[in-house]
Amino acid sequence: MEQTAAAPAFDQAQTDAPQRTCAPMLGKHGLLAISWLAPAAVVILWELLARAGWISPQVLPAPSKVITTTIKLAASGSLLGDLGVSLLRAAAGFAIGASVGFVLGTLVGFSRIAEAAIDRSVQMIRAIPFLALLPLVIVWLGVGEAEKIFLVALGVTFPIYINTTLGIRQVDPKLIELGRIQGLGSLELIRRIVLPGALPSILTGVRYALATAWLALVVAETIGAQSGIGFLAMDAREFLRTDVIVLTIAIYALIGVGADTIARLLERRLLAWHPTYGAGR
Amino acid sequence: MSVHVAPPPCSAATTPAVAVSNLRRAYGNRVVINRLSLRIERGEFVALLGESGCGKTTLLRALAGLDPIQGGRIAAPRRPAVVFQEHRLLPWDSLWRNVSLGLQAPAARERAAVALAEVGLGDRLDDWPRNLSGGQAQRVALARALVQQPELLLLDEPFAALDALTRIRMHDLVRELVAKHRPGVLLVTHDVDEAIALADRILVMRDGAIAFEHRKADDTTSIDRTALLAELGVLASPAAA
Repeated sequence: MEQTAAAPAFDQAQTDAPQRTCAPMLGKHGLLAISWLAPAAVVILWELLARAGWISPQVLPAPSKVITTTIKLAASGSLLGDLGVSLLRAAAGFAIGASVGFVLGTLVGFSRIAEAAIDRSVQMIRAIPFLALLPLVIVWLGVGEAEKIFLVALGVTFPIYINTTLGIRQVDPKLIELGRIQGLGSLELIRRIVLPGALPSILTGVRYALATAWLALVVAETIGAQSGIGFLAMDAREFLRTDVIVLTIAIYALIGVGADTIARLLERRLLAWHPTYGAGR
Repeated sequence: MSVHVAPPPCSAATTPAVAVSNLRRAYGNRVVINRLSLRIERGEFVALLGESGCGKTTLLRALAGLDPIQGGRIAAPRRPAVVFQEHRLLPWDSLWRNVSLGLQAPAARERAAVALAEVGLGDRLDDWPRNLSGGQAQRVALARALVQQPELLLLDEPFAALDALTRIRMHDLVRELVAKHRPGVLLVTHDVDEAIALADRILVMRDGAIAFEHRKADDTTSIDRTALLAELGVLASPAAA
């Protein structure tokens, strides 16, 4: 794979680093090319070392081996099935956690009484690293779908809750006053001014929540799963199939990137008006 | 708290845009407005001058129904429209959505379009507030106030943040629109020349009450600037902050 093209670029990147004066000569596209060629070079180096036998396949398989394994597993249909199961768990957990976080966050954002009643308790629970609750969750719900979805929901609830509350609190009181002058009722005030004003903060919460959702899923699936990407990895561990393990890690990474891309697209669409998020960026 | 009370029927030959009697407004023990009475007719342009902290903005906020009052009576037929020093446009709504905010009417977009055309922004209906200059944003705020067809229009230093040339253009626009829609207007300002340029009547506020009043004799003459400055305690330079 383009070994001749990549190798000189790798050298150039190395010699370039200490003297930044060369950067303007390379231009924007040159620098962009280097930023992509450098990781490609690392992968190629990894492939070469694996083929030469410097790295044992039981420690780290060659990238090409991981790709052929991917194709084989995808062809048999098991990969897509496990991927689907994992995505479903994440989606269900996210939906539940985000709903709970949003409703609680909205209540606390609007009402001082709700804040007094809810906020301290939530902040106390938040102080617990939610993954530490896993043994307790397994005792409550056993090892199954409910336990995994619960753990994901737990991880998602707090970032959404905190950012919803914060977003509502940060809405400019002058705009709320204006809404009153224009004769908006309470519901209209919330719909036209408070929620749109809180949206940038809420979407930041969604992005954090997506990251914690994945973390929760990986941990939950690593313990006693009968299906899903995590199961695939643990099953492969039994047989020292490092190629499958690397594949699952890569899938987790790709899904993480995908989720972040979706969050970014949402921000672009919903915050088109915003000077830092909108199309102007 | 209901601040705006419908005026009693047949109280006068014409219903004023607003009538205030014996108004009292205090923050704790500090009395900001004391026994203030004021009447503004429809179509009348009143400017309110005074030093910072004399209670001008407090009076305006009380008339707008934004703050509770501690005594007296404010009689206004309907909720007034307000334009503030900041435009207060919703950054997430297009211009026409901003102008039609709170408009309880069918064809809100059409009415917003008419109002925006009046302020010279008829071709920017779907634009975002962030693409506007300060003067344009203030024009949209003016359109948003007038689209409600208010009987009382309250202006709280709406031109203070604009550059001098834009301010003069805004003066012309406001004069033209007020002549057309004929609301009663109360303009709070620091700028003596702005007050003279726009108002039929100038009130000078001091210590929570109206200290002086100057009325234009007729449409051809303007209010005597020297006399006004003398009463404000300034001899030469304009009192603009």
